[in-house]
Amino acid sequence: MSKQLFVDPNVVRAPGKITFTDIPVNTYQKKVKDELGNFTPEQFKNIYRDMLVLREFETMIQLIKTTSEYCGVPYTHPGPAHLGIGQEANAVGEAFCLDVEDMIFGSHRSHCDILAKGLSAIEKLDDDKLLEIMKTFLDGKTYAVAEKEPHETVKDLAINFLLYGAMAEIFARETGFNRGLGGSMHTFFTPFGIYPNNAIVGGSGTIAMGAALYKKINRKPGIVVANLGDGSLGRGPVLEALNMSCMGQINELWGDDMKGGLPLMFNIINNQYGMGGQTVGETMGYDAPARMGAGFTATQMHAERVDGWNPLAVIDAYKRKKKLLAEGKGPCLLDVVTYRMSGHSPSDSSSYRTKEEIEAWWAQDPIVEYRKQLVEAGVATEDECDAIVKYVKDAILRNFKLAIDDEVSPRMNLDKNPDELADMMFTNGHVESFGGDTKPDVNMPMEECPRVQAIAKKERWGFDESGKPVSKNKVYQLRDGLFEAIIDRFYKDSTLASWGEDVRDWGGAFAVYRGLTEALPYHRLFNSPISESAIVGGAVGYAMAGGRALVELMYCDFLACAGDEVFNQMAKWQAMSADIIKMPVVLRVSVGSKYGAQHSQDWSALVTHIPGLKAAFPATPYDAKGLMASALAGTDPVVFFESQRIYDVGEQFHEGGVPAEYYEIPFGKADIKRPGKDITILSFGAVLYRVLKAADELKAKYGMEAEIIDARTLVPFDYETVLESVKKTGRLVIVTDACERGSFASEVARQITEMGFDYLDATPTVVASRNWITPAHELEESFFPQPSWILDAIDAKIVPLKGHTRVTNQTLNEKLRNERRGV
Amino acid sequence: MATPIIMPRQGNTVESCIITKWNKKVGDPVAVGDILFAYETDKAAFEEEAKEAGTVLQIFFEEGDDVPCLTNVMVIGNPGESFAEFDPKAGSAAPAEAAPAAEAAPAEEAASAEAQEAAEAPVVIGEMKISPRARNLAEKSGADLSKVVPTGPEGRVIARDVQKLIDSGLLVTAAARAGYQGGVEGTGLGGRVSLKDLEKKPEAAPAAAAAPAAPVELGQPVDDSYTEPMSNMRKVIAKAMMTSLSSMAQLTHNISYDATEVQNARRLFKEKGEKFGMEKISINDIIMYVVARTLAMPEHKALNANLIDDGKTMKYFRGVHLGMAVDTDRGLMVPTIFNADKMTLKELSATAKRLAKECKEGKINPDYLQGASFTVSNIGSLGIESFTPVVNPPQTGILGVCAITDGVRVVNGEIKVYPKMTLSLSYDHRALDGTPASKFLVDLKNNLEAFTLMLARG
Repeated sequence: MSKQLFVDPNVVRAPGKITFTDIPVNTYQKKVKDELGNFTPEQFKNIYRDMLVLREFETMIQLIKTTSEYCGVPYTHPGPAHLGIGQEANAVGEAFCLDVEDMIFGSHRSHCDILAKGLSAIEKLDDDKLLEIMKTFLDGKTYAVAEKEPHETVKDLAINFLLYGAMAEIFARETGFNRGLGGSMHTFFTPFGIYPNNAIVGGSGTIAMGAALYKKINRKPGIVVANLGDGSLGRGPVLEALNMSCMGQINELWGDDMKGGLPLMFNIINNQYGMGGQTVGETMGYDAPARMGAGFTATQMHAERVDGWNPLAVIDAYKRKKKLLAEGKGPCLLDVVTYRMSGHSPSDSSSYRTKEEIEAWWAQDPIVEYRKQLVEAGVATEDECDAIVKYVKDAILRNFKLAIDDEVSPRMNLDKNPDELADMMFTNGHVESFGGDTKPDVNMPMEECPRVQAIAKKERWGFDESGKPVSKNKVYQLRDGLFEAIIDRFYKDSTLASWGEDVRDWGGAFAVYRGLTEALPYHRLFNSPISESAIVGGAVGYAMAGGRALVELMYCDFLACAGDEVFNQMAKWQAMSADIIKMPVVLRVSVGSKYGAQHSQDWSALVTHIPGLKAAFPATPYDAKGLMASALAGTDPVVFFESQRIYDVGEQFHEGGVPAEYYEIPFGKADIKRPGKDITILSFGAVLYRVLKAADELKAKYGMEAEIIDARTLVPFDYETVLESVKKTGRLVIVTDACERGSFASEVARQITEMGFDYLDATPTVVASRNWITPAHELEESFFPQPSWILDAIDAKIVPLKGHTRVTNQTLNEKLRNERRGV
Repeated sequence: MATPIIMPRQGNTVESCIITKWNKKVGDPVAVGDILFAYETDKAAFEEEAKEAGTVLQIFFEEGDDVPCLTNVMVIGNPGESFAEFDPKAGSAAPAEAAPAAEAAPAEEAASAEAQEAAEAPVVIGEMKISPRARNLAEKSGADLSKVVPTGPEGRVIARDVQKLIDSGLLVTAAARAGYQGGVEGTGLGGRVSLKDLEKKPEAAPAAAAAPAAPVELGQPVDDSYTEPMSNMRKVIAKAMMTSLSSMAQLTHNISYDATEVQNARRLFKEKGEKFGMEKISINDIIMYVVARTLAMPEHKALNANLIDDGKTMKYFRGVHLGMAVDTDRGLMVPTIFNADKMTLKELSATAKRLAKECKEGKINPDYLQGASFTVSNIGSLGIESFTPVVNPPQTGILGVCAITDGVRVVNGEIKVYPKMTLSLSYDHRALDGTPASKFLVDLKNNLEAFTLMLARG
């Protein structure tokens, strides 16, 4: 959406044809002897060494998985092992061209990628820098082991460090690159530009795109490579990432210095199989992954097929593509042909392919072939090659022995020290700007922003002098509270960027961002395609790379579309990285009403169920501003629930109204919105206003004073405040717009039953939405909790209210009947 | 594995029990079913049987000690096993890490499992639905739950119901309640009856009592007396009786009635009641049946009541909760037949027999030793023709039932003999005057003489 782009019917409706350029296939056919002079002998030999390292590393794991020993040393590894035997040449070729600041993101089968990139970085870093990285990483624990190994040079030492750190990580040792918390499918080492690998197929697609956005928006050097399997091209999020990374606005609409495509390479490691499914001829119709680029952009993503069994062919392609990326012609796509000699995993009996097929590929083993070319070209003798083989085998065996030694490489004792992991679930940091001193890009001083000026004229307290509510037009609303906290952080943190559906121009579907369009340049606030996975996954990658992201899902229901990105990516990477990675992502999620079954659901329970996510659900302008400010200053992933019912409410609780100056409300502090002594009512989100009505009726008709607690945040949740109140009143009603079954309210009810059992005068009672679909707006009052339901529940389950007539059926039989039929 | 033995909890309201006798000492072997120790509340005595075999490793309390329920009192296990961790006096603060984790953890589990079992017992016995908060409040305040009127959902007792009891002034500290039979002047906080008000530890019996008597020179001055401490129950009875007589204006009215109809009914039950399970209905059951129904008449509510609040408040009962004096080896016990006025004769008889049996066996749940609204005391079987029963405060009346003797009266100029029974009503003149008390006796007499009508009315 942009008025700058005119949708001209004469153009759109004009006849013509769309043309494609040819897609090159394996055009590079050179051998070592053809490239003499273009590489130093050292480089030629290192390519051989590096491929061997990868092969031997994978062979070691293959042997311990299948024979429980390697070179006579017994060891059992119960964890996963998705090996890349056969995929060494493409990894080494790719890494050869990558600089240290270039980032790679991988898959479950990325041992080869990370080792190759690590060896490449070691080659490119000077000794001082290498030593500094190794000595400071995780308090030097990994280095302490590696430095004791025999080595002649710092680079030798660094190779030991790399092999040992990766092995220790795979074997879940505390000395591993991520303290053993990531394991085989998630081993990475950011100082060498090795970013997280992902056990979710295609998970790295959107994340790599986010990292590329970070480099682009923050003017950082280098490119980003998404190492994805051919099988992952069947996944929606990967297609979303391909599409969004090609979005036209960067060249069409972004500022002049921002023009140019993303520095992003989709490196499709085409090993012919997605687990056992054959991508060509069986599970897909693309014939070749290289064809995919043509579907996303007119440049066809400069896609071509490259022989991934010839490291020199891969190097050639990367040299050309890196140039394109540097020229702002990205993103690119490479279809790197290779073959996985090993099974998908050690349990794979290759029932889906023939022995002949595997033998045919073995006959062309790239490492054997490359060695032949080295000798043939006179770069190395057989003896020199044998010496390299010995060097590699010794290094692998030596580091293997260290990595499996419980004395040298202990595991975390999570029984004894559970806090070691518990403390990593959140980083709980407070960072003003991830951009350091960099001045944020803005279009105008904040006070000139029209929205800021409009808000200045609003009444920040919800009532006038006579106590009457201020009109909607004049009152400072909840959406204004969100806006103030957001624009404040945009003017403090240069890395803060925001995207989502219709956030620019439209100002967000619910007008929270109105005014930001004027204040911020395109690259800090832009409209994304309707791609929830890419929106959230992009934010995850943006944060991994070092920035702070604020993204939104227009409706809470769309969490389902971004399920993997929210639950597996955003939530997990801090702890999986031993907190090396920070995840300052705020995901705004708007809870709807009026729009029926797929636009009106409060799914807060899904978010609270997944460890690693913080969750807020403010109900007042004061809380919305303070909690958003807190979320945007933190270092943890926050799912920030908002309710469409109350974007326009004024402040009714915080005396004096919402402060104009900046303030933060800490997470994990519930707020007593109204003190009382007879019963406690805990409220989540917008239902607060219906709770207030019920409390008024309780007071007027039955003389009961309810203490109303607004949860404000769900994770962390302030049990102390609720417990103290329950000690006083002995009674608890928990009200939520979420469906009852499995709701977070039900969770709190269970917890308070345990924590406060001796104080309770009745079981905590949950008043929630029904376990139905949300019906049409006209029928909603039969679905969402109403004040009368709260009174009914109190009357039936807590303390009979004299003369109260129930409107709902609160009998045990009705409850049992509903549960029997699953509603 | 060493196992701690806890002091069981014998009822809802019992906080602690006194160990009266150790049948085992440290080092003794124990077989399943052996009696380990005897203990009592101030109302009933119990014996603890061994549920597993072993050797007594340690005993934590002495005879006479007042032990909180669910506290470890001894440890049984194999010689050499550690038991210090079960010592309740060591304090629960013993750090878990200090004990060898592998051994200590299962033992602790066993202990807590047993504690749970014991703790759950009252839930089985009590029929009352009560919220945890209400129960806590009752325990802390000593409110008398047997008198509670539940107002919560589905008949559950909730906190406000207990608060009402407290506001009505029935406060006894929880610890003292087990031994409380009423009438004791409280010296505790706010005038509550506390443990201090009830003697706790019986002194050890003097050796002289058990020693064989020395040869006596007849005719020579001698002091051969010996002292013996009164049992707890005796002491409580003594205080209660004394308080009763010194704190209220009680007097007794007597009336007699013709027991022909009652005797006929009794004969019928005995001869032909077997197939209905009614052959054991006694004269006393019949009298209690009629008493309960007579008391339920609105005009006699002053006798189905408590006078509380230092004589300032009358507390009336909706049902008739009939106290029934039972003579036991340990002294007088008065279990309560709750809602006797709503029972059939058969139900009432069965309830009375069960409660009497439990009293005699010392197994009565202390919850049933309180809460009566009126008491019936029958000593007719011993041939007593008239007596002055003593009112059990805060009740306002007690009916003494005497023996049946041959009475004579003139019918048509002739002297006729008839079975005559005297009824003696003691009542608190503060609560009601002589005329209503007399009217109650007259109604009772008429009802007994027309027993068949009463039975038919139901």
